[in-house]
Amino acid sequence: MAIIRIHHLVKQSGGHRILDDVSLTIAQGQVAGIVGPSGSGKSTLLRCIVGLEPFDHGEVWVHGRWQIRGGVTAPRDTLLQLRRTVGMVFQQFHLFPHMTVLRNVMAGPLHVQGKSRAEAETIASHWLERVGLKDKLSAYPAQLSGGQQQRVAIARALAVQPQALLFDEPTSALDPRMAAEVMRVIDDLADDPALQVAMVIVSHDLSALRRIADVVHVLDRGRLVYSGPADEALAPNGPTAHFTSSEQPR
Amino acid sequence: MSIEPAFPYPVGSGGRLVWAVTLCIAIVAPVAGQEPAPATEVLRFGTDPTGGAPYIFKIDPAGPYVGFEVELASYLAHKLGRRAVPVEGEWSTLPELLDKPRHGEKGIDIVLNGYEQRDDLLQHYAATVPYYVYRLQLVAHAEDDSIQQWSDLRAGKRIGVLEGSVAFDYCQRRYPGQVLPNKDVAIMFEEVKRRGRVDATVQDNPACAWFVFQEPVYRGHLKIVGEGRQPGFYVIYLRKDDLQLKRQLDDAIRDGFRDGTLQRLYSKYGLWNADQQWLAWSLTGQFPPEDDAPIETLSSSGGGSVIPLIPKLLQAAGMTVFLSVASFPLAMLLGLLIALGRVYGPSWLAAPLTLYVEVIRGTPLMLQLYFLFFMMPKIHPVLALDPLYTGILGLALNYAAYEAENYRAGLLAIPRGQMEAALALGMTPLTALRTVIVPQAMRIVIPPVTNDFIALFKDTSVCSVILITELTRRYNELYNFNRDLVVELAILTAALYLLMSYPLALVARTLERRWGTPHVPR
Ligand SMILES: Nc1ncnc2c1ncn2[C@@H]1O[C@H](COP(=O)(O)OP(=O)(O)OP(=O)(O)O)[C@@H](O)[C@H]1O
Ligand SMILES: [Mg+2]
Repeated sequence: MAIIRIHHLVKQSGGHRILDDVSLTIAQGQVAGIVGPSGSGKSTLLRCIVGLEPFDHGEVWVHGRWQIRGGVTAPRDTLLQLRRTVGMVFQQFHLFPHMTVLRNVMAGPLHVQGKSRAEAETIASHWLERVGLKDKLSAYPAQLSGGQQQRVAIARALAVQPQALLFDEPTSALDPRMAAEVMRVIDDLADDPALQVAMVIVSHDLSALRRIADVVHVLDRGRLVYSGPADEALAPNGPTAHFTSSEQPR
Repeated sequence: MSIEPAFPYPVGSGGRLVWAVTLCIAIVAPVAGQEPAPATEVLRFGTDPTGGAPYIFKIDPAGPYVGFEVELASYLAHKLGRRAVPVEGEWSTLPELLDKPRHGEKGIDIVLNGYEQRDDLLQHYAATVPYYVYRLQLVAHAEDDSIQQWSDLRAGKRIGVLEGSVAFDYCQRRYPGQVLPNKDVAIMFEEVKRRGRVDATVQDNPACAWFVFQEPVYRGHLKIVGEGRQPGFYVIYLRKDDLQLKRQLDDAIRDGFRDGTLQRLYSKYGLWNADQQWLAWSLTGQFPPEDDAPIETLSSSGGGSVIPLIPKLLQAAGMTVFLSVASFPLAMLLGLLIALGRVYGPSWLAAPLTLYVEVIRGTPLMLQLYFLFFMMPKIHPVLALDPLYTGILGLALNYAAYEAENYRAGLLAIPRGQMEAALALGMTPLTALRTVIVPQAMRIVIPPVTNDFIALFKDTSVCSVILITELTRRYNELYNFNRDLVVELAILTAALYLLMSYPLALVARTLERRWGTPHVPR
């Protein structure tokens, strides 16, 4: 069953189509990679899915129940429900700098799900342990390395028990060692059969995608030019060949 | 020299007065067809003590008010079976206190404070018969031979006058370009005595008579030049519909002239003269009885200590603190709401909020307080707030505009990603503001907001214009009655402000250190 269904989505800006008739489906528990050259619309697509960015035509369905329609302001409740189902991890982490690591991860359970402080704390410690940061609970984000911050962000997103998680270039702000450390966490989550969270990962790290992703979607100038198994998509003479050779060193 | 407290009204030969009052009640009561007012009923008269001697002043800083108008009020109240209670206001706006509810805070029954008979005031208020005939008098330094008559002023003499007074108007027309207006009566006599900034001053004869002949500090240094000019009447103003009160007051003034009470009262302050003889005759058809009893005189002592004044200053400092701590949290809350409305609110809200901020920041606080205090009640009586509430509200509304700008800058300094991350978690926009955006903005704005609190603390002094007795107004009052302590009082008052604001500055610095650059490991 599809957790996210995108139907003929079009987003324009000044007569130019940033996203041009994109349709794709993310199944429950599926790990999908999205690749494409810079400026092809990858980030915009993710932001459209969670309603951070309006679009002009088409529809986004989440869980078959919550719908955002092009050209229409989505009802507030729809957006809230949808965002509780689909989480997001940003390239620049966007941790809350005035809260400790623990409070960052508690924010969702506490302020979104209305859980008690004790419950939220249990949930938050669990996820922080899961991403390997059990010993940093009372640190502030500014006291962590980039890789640690991104792992907190992942824990924060998971703490509200989403059914899907969108990653927008989660490792491109990090040096290779920290990037690998974050990818290992994502890999580990993807492999956990108990977790059942679908993942959509925008990344230039093709070797990591090859390892983690079930399917890969290729965007080029706002159009979806390929959807298929990761191996095929990322093959040296596949649909990504013309833009990966120069940008992807590994 | 004998010094008498102003209350109760001093009775020269008590028997006669009691008799007169008894007779008065006996006559008035049946005619009015109702019981005489109970003795505890008060007659609240609006007055500005900063106007000073001989109208209303203090000899003993801790004692009651004295002055010929204070005694006149006591006499009139006594005749009405009431008790006179002064209600302090700012001289130029005293009549407007009549527009306020009689029994509210700063409510008054009459204005009795050297107010001349004026057509513009008579359109809105009723007035009694005159209680005094004043003239403009010219006062120069006793040894200044270049000023022997009024026409000597034409030789480019600099003339000090009370701003907005009849003398101001008179001199402005006759000696254009030579007039130096001032708000303080005493300071002009001081300047003449020192042969300082002015060569002469033109003022109502009561003030002149007092400073030239009675006030020890000035006696012998000043002289009255020529005849008094431009005679006019001092009257008591009251509400237009207070017909019974007007009649009672008119009768009491006439009685006072007829039986010599007012002659004795005015003589005590050196104010009885031929003009008053004439006034008595025209009001009663007869001259007051000759009275050969020795005339009491009264004069301020001078040469006090500043120590007994300290408790009064401290008490007023308490009001300053209260005004600050009551208004600033309101200003912060309101400012935050305005800033949130401007940055995150619907687009139609932005324009009115911007207008509010700009209007408030572009107009003086004093004007805003005047507006709240004097104009709002004219729009609707329900809007007549007590001075204290008006002060708190005015300061809060004013500072809200400045805090709004602080918060707006703080909110705009938070990266967009913070809001997006909060929304992506599933928070409502309001929750995101409350838990993520505002707490961060707060930390950014702590230094400017704390500085504004210190500024507001000092701006509370503006509340003196709406009659709140805070530190600055108390300083003004005390200094009027203690001219010899001017420097000590000023230093003491400044020290109090500093003593209170310096700890605030320290707190500000601590907060800044702790929260100003948050969460960056050092
Ligand atoms: N708010 C916006 N208004 C107008 N144009 C935008 C906006 N956001 C992005 N664009 C444009 O849309 C296109 C797609 O941008 P987007 O950020 O989605 O690309 P991307 O695939 O994520 O690129 P990168 O790999 O560099 O992150 C770009 O041409 C960009 O300039
Ligand atoms: Mg991008």
